[in-house]
Amino acid sequence: MTLFGLEITLDLILYTGAFGLIVIGAAGIVLAHHLFRVILALAIAEAGANLLLVLSGYRWDAIAPILSGSESAAPMVDPVPQAMVLTAIVIGVGVQALAVGLAMQVKKTYGTLDMSAIRQRLEADIAGTAGIATTGSQDAPLGERPLPPADAVPVTPGSSAR
Amino acid sequence: MNQIVLIVVLPLLAAFLVPIVARMSASLGAALGPLVMGVCLWITGTVAIESAGNAFAINIGGFMPPLGITFFVDRLALLFAFLTALLVLVLWPFQGEHRPREHALTLILAAASGGLALSGDLFNIYVFYELVSVASFGLVATGRRSSAPAIRYLILSGFGSVLALVGIALVYTQTGTLNLAHLSQLAPTHLINPIGLAAFALILLGVGVKAELFPVNTWVPEVYATAPNRVSALLAGLVSKLAALVILRLLVLVFAQEQALLVMLLLGLLGVITGELAAWRAQDMNRMLAYSSIGQLGMVFVAFSIPGETGVFAGLAIALHHLVVKPALFLLAARWGGALSGLAGAAGGNLPAALLFTLFALSLVGVPPLPGFWAKLLLVMGLAEQVGPLYHFALAGILIATVVEANYLFRIVSTLFHRDSPASPAPQKHSGGDIATAGLFGASLIAAVLLLIPLSQSLKTIAQQTADAAAYRAVVTLAPTTSTLGDTQ
Repeated sequence: MTLFGLEITLDLILYTGAFGLIVIGAAGIVLAHHLFRVILALAIAEAGANLLLVLSGYRWDAIAPILSGSESAAPMVDPVPQAMVLTAIVIGVGVQALAVGLAMQVKKTYGTLDMSAIRQRLEADIAGTAGIATTGSQDAPLGERPLPPADAVPVTPGSSAR
Repeated sequence: MNQIVLIVVLPLLAAFLVPIVARMSASLGAALGPLVMGVCLWITGTVAIESAGNAFAINIGGFMPPLGITFFVDRLALLFAFLTALLVLVLWPFQGEHRPREHALTLILAAASGGLALSGDLFNIYVFYELVSVASFGLVATGRRSSAPAIRYLILSGFGSVLALVGIALVYTQTGTLNLAHLSQLAPTHLINPIGLAAFALILLGVGVKAELFPVNTWVPEVYATAPNRVSALLAGLVSKLAALVILRLLVLVFAQEQALLVMLLLGLLGVITGELAAWRAQDMNRMLAYSSIGQLGMVFVAFSIPGETGVFAGLAIALHHLVVKPALFLLAARWGGALSGLAGAAGGNLPAALLFTLFALSLVGVPPLPGFWAKLLLVMGLAEQVGPLYHFALAGILIATVVEANYLFRIVSTLFHRDSPASPAPQKHSGGDIATAGLFGASLIAAVLLLIPLSQSLKTIAQQTADAAAYRAVVTLAPTTSTLGDTQ
């Protein structure tokens, strides 16, 4: 079977699938609003990368790379990517657990898991801690900016540059 | 000289012991971490003296490369292992109540950083990099308000790791090995092609998250603004340099092609320009320092994109300078974290801090004879020697960025020394420990001025050794047959 001149093999389908998972994950991270969905999207992207890694060392005509006492003539699957994927999966699980824990913390602090709401609160929080007026004074169009009171004197020589 | 492995093993072991020991005896638990870091410092020092600058490789468990785990120890690796132990010790959270979790995470960070400096194989680099990541997420989250920045950092960094893993998979499909020396041997025939470039770009973006590389550095301002200042100092001073070190190793050994250098030059230059402009616009101290850190790291990448020893020399000089200056500035920002305009006249209440800030600001901008000037001079001269419009464009970009940098840093200095008594309440005084630590960094900066010639000479030797890929290959002896299993010594 061919499609657009490419012969469709199991390999091709699997590689497409692996890259597809990564793309789905990336899209999820960028587009999802709910924090938990973002974490799931990260997990999907990691699964794609792991699948890609397994595929890079896989052979269909080979046996599992386990040395038993009797030497067999059959070729073996490359064990290095499999060992790497095991490590990567373990790391991924650890990071996801940490992410879920942090998400709980975020929910406690901000009362929401909506990414854009969190981001807004975060900006306001940082600016509030620093003691800066928040209402978009940098990005608002010039005309809408409140004029300073007439008797205000610039505090520093530098601040008049803005 | 195999004891160098201990600088990874001991902190890891201690990290898991700290919570247990702290339960039995609080003071012993609090002393364990600094003690172990002190031992690491001593081990690194003795190995550096013993090896006398000659590179050597350690095959852990006796498995010959490319199988097994290889640690490659040369001057650069030892330098960064030493600086890791030193910086962790100097920035150790001595003050405040003893929190075992924080100590454990710092120890894990130290162990993984040592591992990153020594690792001679791509997959171990990935594992240590992830370990650094997880430890730094935990450390960032210890701040009172930093759970949201921590999770945003985690997601970006996690996606970066996925990209790096795909890059590693691409390298493996092309070459069938992950050992850096073996890769370096195979690279000219297998990786100097578009797939190799794609792999490099993916790994660069992945590792670049920690190195504050241009498109993947959105976490920097919010994390540095909310994390405890000692953690910001560690991340900006140490972790970013280790990520840059990994990229340097890969660039020299594996991806030594012109397009890879151009990709790095472009991303670095964008980092310099965006970072410095954002710092110019920033209204509070922490975020200004964060953006300026992006700019400085961008300069490191621009320097590394100059081919050969010149680039390595300049990049290392800028990176080491930043490693001394930025942690000290973050310590000073601990009490000056508010709006910049609120700092008017702050020097009156706290002259030592203001003088230290001025010293670091002058050095960052590059006023002779401070070390920052010589580092920038090396970069500018290196760029000027290159042919090609992009390099000269970068040269112009760096000079303009320096002007911007001078503008915002001197603006703060003049605010600090403002005569009129401020209307707002004066900022708090610094804690004695912060000032003392920042003074230590300041003293080392002055010492660097006095010892400029020997320092630059030894840095040049380090750069020479680092840029020599053939020497690296010669040190790591590869097993004669690489295709069979069980090829143990």
